[in-house]
Amino acid sequence: MENLILPLFKNGFLSPEANFFFAILMGISFGFVLERTGFTRAQHIADTFYFRNLAVPKIMGVTIITATTWFILFAYMGWIDLSALFTPGTYVWPYFAGGLLFGLGMVMSGYCPGTAVAGLGTGKSDALVFLIGVLVGMFVYFNLYDMIMNFANSTKFGVVKIQDVFGGNNYTSYIVTVALEVGIISFLMFLQKLSNNGRN
Amino acid sequence: MKKGYWNPYLGGVILGTMLFITFLIASQGFGASGTFSRLTAQYLVDSDKSWLSNAYVASYFKHSDSALANWTVLETVGILIGGFISALLAGRFMLSPDKAKSYPASKRFFWAFVGGTIVAIATRLARGCTSGQGLDGMATFSVGAWIFMFATFAAGLIFSPLFRKQWVDKEDN
Repeated sequence: MENLILPLFKNGFLSPEANFFFAILMGISFGFVLERTGFTRAQHIADTFYFRNLAVPKIMGVTIITATTWFILFAYMGWIDLSALFTPGTYVWPYFAGGLLFGLGMVMSGYCPGTAVAGLGTGKSDALVFLIGVLVGMFVYFNLYDMIMNFANSTKFGVVKIQDVFGGNNYTSYIVTVALEVGIISFLMFLQKLSNNGRN
Repeated sequence: MKKGYWNPYLGGVILGTMLFITFLIASQGFGASGTFSRLTAQYLVDSDKSWLSNAYVASYFKHSDSALANWTVLETVGILIGGFISALLAGRFMLSPDKAKSYPASKRFFWAFVGGTIVAIATRLARGCTSGQGLDGMATFSVGAWIFMFATFAAGLIFSPLFRKQWVDKEDN
């Protein structure tokens, strides 16, 4: 694993300025695709939870399958160092609590931060209101931080990958990831059929 | 999906390839929530320096004078521009909020606001949102991302009956 140039930035092949320029470029592409796929519509996100439209989990699942397939191919060819990719560390209970709150906020508002930013670009007034709420929420969190700091930093395990739990290597993680995504999409489509109130 | 939007599987392949390219070059993936945390922190510190005694706010100023000199912040500016360009080319600008037809707009805005505050707090606990934690974490095989995504989806389903009127008209069942 020597002389790897990918990822470029981590290996010093990209200046911070160039990386910032690239950030704007990739952001534009991301926002463009979010609009094209309908993620900018709060209705589409909310519809997921009523099994009326499964486009959101389908897109997310296929996104992960596609990205990890590229990663594993490039790693197999010896072109990329997967361990150099930024991976958020794991905090078990904070992530679980954060997820519960996030899901509540998402079905309540129909947005998450990224989709609301793209939605604001398309003129959506509810996206603007949501994002003002997000700014206020950050202020609330800063004020509460002293009180919840201990919980927020509890059950800290650093970077934990699937192979660290189940054993094996990146290939094991890849197979588990693809199986989970395919399983989740299929299960949701099955539930949608049962609930029989969706079109597709 | 309504007419005019991309097929979800095609959309996923495109988005996944973009996520891959982003990691390939920047060594990190997409994000969004951090931008709003940083914006708030910068605003507070600009208006009153004593905010630097807040441990969370201070963490943004450890390596830089500005909380906004950050990859994700610039990428978020891009997301706004990208959404704008796409809507412009597709003729899909829309001001009016998404909701069930019979649902009052004022209540819709109220829940959008409250939902935003809850989502913000959630992203601080989870160190990211569906992009920075969900997509990036799952793409790099992180266990934490799966904990977050399962909890998110479970809560969305559990609380969905409370918001049914906002999203589903009676006649559509």
